[in-house]
Amino acid sequence: MNLDFLTPYGFWNPILWLLVIFVALLVAYLIWLRGNSRYKKGTEQTKPFLSGYAPESKEAMMVSASNIYWGFTSTLKGYYNFLRKMHTGDIRDYLGWYVGIVAIMLILYILWGGA
Amino acid sequence: MPKLPTKSFDRSLWVFHVNTGSCNGCDIEILAALTPRYDVERFGIKLVGSPRHADALLVTGPVTRDMEDKVKRFYEQMADPKVVIVIGSCGISGGVFHESYNLVGPVDKVIPVDVYVPGCPPRPEAIIDGVVKAWMKLERLRREKK
Ligand code: SF4
Repeated sequence: MNLDFLTPYGFWNPILWLLVIFVALLVAYLIWLRGNSRYKKGTEQTKPFLSGYAPESKEAMMVSASNIYWGFTSTLKGYYNFLRKMHTGDIRDYLGWYVGIVAIMLILYILWGGA
Repeated sequence: MPKLPTKSFDRSLWVFHVNTGSCNGCDIEILAALTPRYDVERFGIKLVGSPRHADALLVTGPVTRDMEDKVKRFYEQMADPKVVIVIGSCGISGGVFHESYNLVGPVDKVIPVDVYVPGCPPRPEAIIDGVVKAWMKLERLRREKK
């Protein structure tokens, strides 16, 4: 079976690509093997270096998603504060909203629907 | 005069430099050792930005209260075997700051020290000599570990 592909833009052979990937992985593995194996796991030696300061929790060190949208949420503060109040996290509140809205829609439909 | 190794060193020496409260005089001399006049990098002696990559810790100055936990952490973050070199009289005895209220003490009160290079500040030649001594100790430690 011939797997060669000769297009006007170049040559393609999946076996060749697999070989390239294999060689790249092999080189990466050899570089990894040359690394320092004397680090003791679970000690300061494997903790991140932060100019001598004790590492904080991962959450405290990372930029949270709220930082990215800060300008947006700050400009629309009034709107978001209102929305946040509605999002209590309690499923009964959400079901209450659902039932209420469906009831209003039904009433509206009964009064004016289908006309 | 220490006995020089008969063969060349096994590998280059990566050094992490920390100032624990020096006046900066010693630090300038360390930089002088890296300038083209002395050019220690040609021997493979290289300053690195993290103790996790370093074989040797180069400390200048006495240890201030603020730096005590940090210098301990630098030392603990280095892989074994490792050596510590103290550059300058301040790190050895407290030097001109020895009675300061803000000091924990000389470096060997906080972490174990292998090589002392006295002087205020020591000349680059003396620093290089100290580093080579530490290097020889490191090679010895490595061979013992094998
Ligand atoms: S030994 Fe001298 S030059 Fe070095 S830090 Fe102390 S006072 Fe400064």
